[in-house]
Amino acid sequence: MKTRLFAWVFLLGLGPALATAQAPYREYDAMEDYMPHARGDLMLSGSYRHWSDPRSLDWRMAGDPDQNWKLNWKFMDPPFNGSVHGGHFALDRGEEVFTELNGKGRFAACLGARQGQLKGLRTRYPMYRADLRRVVGLEEVIEVCGAREGRELQNGSYDNSAVSLYVASKSAGLPMAVKVAEGPMKQAFERGRRLFHMRTGRSNLACSTCHTHRVGQQLRSVTVTTPYGDAAHFPVYRTRFQLQSLHLRFMECNLDSGTQPLRPGSRAYTDLEVFLSALTNGYPVSVPSERN
Amino acid sequence: MGLTRYKRWSIFCLACLALPAAAQGVPGDAAADPGVATMTLTPRVVVNSGRLEWEPFSRDLSPWPTLSHQDQRPTQKPRRVTLNGPLGGDPARGRELALRRDKGYCVVCHQLPGEQWPGTFGTSLIGYKLFRHSDQDVYQHIFDARVNNPNTAMPPYGSNLILNDQEIRDLVAYLQSLE
Repeated sequence: MKTRLFAWVFLLGLGPALATAQAPYREYDAMEDYMPHARGDLMLSGSYRHWSDPRSLDWRMAGDPDQNWKLNWKFMDPPFNGSVHGGHFALDRGEEVFTELNGKGRFAACLGARQGQLKGLRTRYPMYRADLRRVVGLEEVIEVCGAREGRELQNGSYDNSAVSLYVASKSAGLPMAVKVAEGPMKQAFERGRRLFHMRTGRSNLACSTCHTHRVGQQLRSVTVTTPYGDAAHFPVYRTRFQLQSLHLRFMECNLDSGTQPLRPGSRAYTDLEVFLSALTNGYPVSVPSERN
Repeated sequence: MGLTRYKRWSIFCLACLALPAAAQGVPGDAAADPGVATMTLTPRVVVNSGRLEWEPFSRDLSPWPTLSHQDQRPTQKPRRVTLNGPLGGDPARGRELALRRDKGYCVVCHQLPGEQWPGTFGTSLIGYKLFRHSDQDVYQHIFDARVNNPNTAMPPYGSNLILNDQEIRDLVAYLQSLE
């Protein structure tokens, strides 16, 4: 008698669980031909030829409001932009926090530094970490490793992004090299590609609605730019905001386009980070940088 | 033994009943707080701090699907509608809605008379009356433009409950008045 009752309760519970296991209706028509390299932009907007070499940007285009979007805002990166801004203060703070935590070299080792060398570390993130059993971005690892040293460094917080900026500065000028050819990273890239094309939110917009075939067009005074080569300058100092990690930028994109944002470090944002970082492969890490 | 098994089963079944209920709503990794009036949160970065602070966002964006992998809520399917009865729209109210950021905000993509910095995504709406579109067609396009073009960038104002019936009528009246 009892067993039969349990069976009924079990079946009643299983019904709705199975019903929701079906994928909900979504709208996306994901483009296939993304190249995991910044020059893939030549197939999309063609602006790559204007910003492929950060050392020789055309300063006349930088000063022209109708042309400067073609530089993908790289004129606000070093070495073109030599001004001192909030990013430099964040860099100092990042060094301070990093030195405090790395007394015995454990913090750097936890971040994935080889023989304690930070050089080149930024170019390999996001990556699959077998010890954490997931694909992680640099800021997520900084939070985990900070906690191991007894320091709270929440993903997206100033100190977290400052440490990320300091680590990135040790790879400044080195080309991004995120490997997405196989395994969990390839899966994350594919999920990110689909998310990039998936419509969400109040306005039913996907990232790709604006950032593929409408690059160069205007939304009020803002000109839409290419998704290629856009992940190398994060975390970035925003003159109207503060130090901003890539995941906080995703939150701002979501809020601006009417989608409920996710928390920094969420799986979906990490997949998008993998996708956009792979589209930046070959472009040098450019920090400390600023954007308006 | 019997009691242990009973407990184990009941816990399992409570979990499978609760799972779909939780899946209906806002996903767990969304930056949302039910304790806040607008639900949606926006981050605030505090200099020299390891904590990320949160503030209420000006609008509640939680009713619509997010990017989260856990989000089980469907996108609204394209919907064909019929405009019933006389239009009864007010062009002045329509213009107000066309400029409001929380309502139409048409000017972000379209050119409107008397407005600086128009967007270039959509066609210019100056002289819209001269297209001679029927009220029904304009109403449908604002309600859900995906019926006419599945790849449109235009939000489905009616299907996504951004504008109500009267507000869309006001916008139609405004557009049909543009010479």
